[in-house]
Amino acid sequence: MSKSLKALSLAVSALALTCLPAAAQTKVTNEGISASEIVIGTHQDLSGPIKGWGVPVSNGMKMAVDEINAAGGVQGRKIKLVIEDSGYDPKKAVLASQKMVERDKIFAMVGPMGSPTVLAAQDILLDAGVLQLFPLTAAEFTFKFDPAKPQERLKFNNLLPYVESTRAALKYMMETKNFKKPCIMHQDDEYGKNVLDGFNQQLTAMKIQPASITSYKRGASDFSAQVAKMKSDGCDLVVLGAVLREPIGTMAEAKKLGWDVTFLGATPVNVLEVPALGKDVVEGLYSASGFEIPYEDTAKGKVKDWLVNYKKMFSADANTQAIIGYNAVMTFAHYANKAGKDLTGQKMLDALESGDKFQDIFSSPPTVFSKTNHLATTITQVQQVKNGRWVLVKDNLMF
Amino acid sequence: MRFLFKTDYEDDIKLFPHSGYLYSYGLLIAVLLVAPYVLSSYLMSQLVFVCIYATVGVGLLILTGFTGQASLGHAAFLAIGAYTAAYLQQFNVPFPVYFLAAGLLTGIVGALVGFPALRLQGIYLVIATISFALIVEEIMARWESVTHGNEGMRVKTMQLLGTTVPRDGPTFYYLCLAVLVLTIVGTLNLLRSPTGRAFVAIRDSETAARSMGINVALYKVKSFAISAAITGFAGVLFAHKLSFISPEMFTLQLSIEFIIVILIGGTFSLHGAVLGAIFLVMIDPFLTYLKDDMPGIIAGVAATLGAGKERAGHIQDAVAAFASANGLKGAIYGVIIVLFVLFEPLGLYGRWLKIKLFFQLFPLYKRATFKRQKIYVKSERNR
Repeated sequence: MSKSLKALSLAVSALALTCLPAAAQTKVTNEGISASEIVIGTHQDLSGPIKGWGVPVSNGMKMAVDEINAAGGVQGRKIKLVIEDSGYDPKKAVLASQKMVERDKIFAMVGPMGSPTVLAAQDILLDAGVLQLFPLTAAEFTFKFDPAKPQERLKFNNLLPYVESTRAALKYMMETKNFKKPCIMHQDDEYGKNVLDGFNQQLTAMKIQPASITSYKRGASDFSAQVAKMKSDGCDLVVLGAVLREPIGTMAEAKKLGWDVTFLGATPVNVLEVPALGKDVVEGLYSASGFEIPYEDTAKGKVKDWLVNYKKMFSADANTQAIIGYNAVMTFAHYANKAGKDLTGQKMLDALESGDKFQDIFSSPPTVFSKTNHLATTITQVQQVKNGRWVLVKDNLMF
Repeated sequence: MRFLFKTDYEDDIKLFPHSGYLYSYGLLIAVLLVAPYVLSSYLMSQLVFVCIYATVGVGLLILTGFTGQASLGHAAFLAIGAYTAAYLQQFNVPFPVYFLAAGLLTGIVGALVGFPALRLQGIYLVIATISFALIVEEIMARWESVTHGNEGMRVKTMQLLGTTVPRDGPTFYYLCLAVLVLTIVGTLNLLRSPTGRAFVAIRDSETAARSMGINVALYKVKSFAISAAITGFAGVLFAHKLSFISPEMFTLQLSIEFIIVILIGGTFSLHGAVLGAIFLVMIDPFLTYLKDDMPGIIAGVAATLGAGKERAGHIQDAVAAFASANGLKGAIYGVIIVLFVLFEPLGLYGRWLKIKLFFQLFPLYKRATFKRQKIYVKSERNR
């Protein structure tokens, strides 16, 4: 035992010696950039509870990489994408991130999936000077940074945050449709809490009392109690902080009770699966959203080609998730291209913060970052399900 | 083969029955002590998780392996330890204090769970522990003033004796290793004491234990409390290692992982906890490693066997496509566990003992050596 104690004290003192005060300059890695290649990494949930997101996102990313490489790469460098499965387990996300930093020597982490997984692994990336770009969680910790901590400048996000998008969509609905008694039903987790916060903040700003607040546990399939309560509270607008099956279940329950009420989903409701699975039940459902979902028969030009290509590559219809994954890599490539031929970590950071606009092919609001703002956009749209399709109602919304 | 000649009781309960133990464990400790200076931080992280999982495994072995009380609620004990640490850390409580407080609180909760569980056996006890874990998960999600609910809690970097201990540094690894070694030594000591022998007696036959004057209820509660406290200590280290905790991390799945640790490792010896933890933590990175490197190796083999360069390239692409198929890792992992349960119920440590004995007795090894002799024990345990 004395042996290990000695080693312990030795290690403690050695550590104390190496603990120098942090430099004010942000350290950005130059690993992963060679004459012919840029190595980027991502961890996705390919086998866990949210693989319905992880798989299409990784497909979209692969497709973007193929497209960029087929067109000659970024300033002559091919992109190599390393994908690891985290199974939505923070332990695996930590190990996967360390593996990618050490073994694969990634230059940037692009589009990693999930709040607990991204947060648990974040320090590993920042300490190694690896950029954490566009994670698939709209939580604040992915873009808010403390200027006093230089490594935090490596965080960027381009996803529409739940709080802001809920506020903007709710404001539009309240003002144009003149609702008096707004309610919310939210999922009992971090995401649902974000939607609830947006709901509460907006109503406080508008000096309106919420008529009813209910919640459900993730994976629930029976919403009769919540719907009955909201009906008896006299709600005229129900905000859904829900994901996929729940809007369908809730609206079916309301129909069964013969309750005519307007539903507004948060951004995750705005996916193809909702009208595809819900059919007539979800007719008239509104949702906050970041961009328009393209359909193969009405899409034109580049978007149409993209949809056809995606189907060819993965034998499945492209969805919102795939677009988000595709855009994550495309946004990375845009700024890497801007950083120039002699790409370095510092040049990449400068390019991201330069205020240069990135416009995707799906006509989303443009992506712009600055030295003080690492969140691409808060511009929100409202869409509605009409004849089984998502249709744009109003864009360019802010709160 | 060495024959130990025991002349008194002290010989029988020695921690190191002969000098060979001292040398081999001494060597192991020495290797583990220099590991941070040799291995990359990716491998060190795995070792840290191994230490944490093995500590939980030892705790679970006390309850399940040695007292015969199954539990699928150990993720909840881990959560209580982790949340106690995160909560007390906000008030600048020093690490040694919140470390001990977490163990103590978890131990008390464990004892409280032990009381209602006294009347339950086998599968019913499993159901009760699952419900307990669900209750704890719900409390973590609801008690927002303490746990911050579903938003989760950040865990600050550890401060120990005035220095910062980063979660990826060697000091943190030494700390986890020290906790594991102390837990193992403490548990070994416990198991050779009257308390430990009472645990084993309860496991083998409650009726027999009671007839010998053992207070079954008291010892079961003790076993729950000790097992929970050890898991609580591990919870503190777990929270520090992940730097962020939220209720959705401490689910039934994690409890199942802990049971897998001791099932794969072997439920009859503390070695099982360590071997099982190594398996559980390292199998995933190992499969990842195979996924990355196997295609290149296979293509290399194909090339030396006479395949042309282009053909070797095709083979490499095909193997790479197969190896990175979604969910393949999970499937392989599941198959390994099924095979273990079917063909090696004594776990990794049982397998190791068999291999050792095979060489010691060569060529006289008999399979029947490991056949279970006490049939009555088996029937009681499956009650």
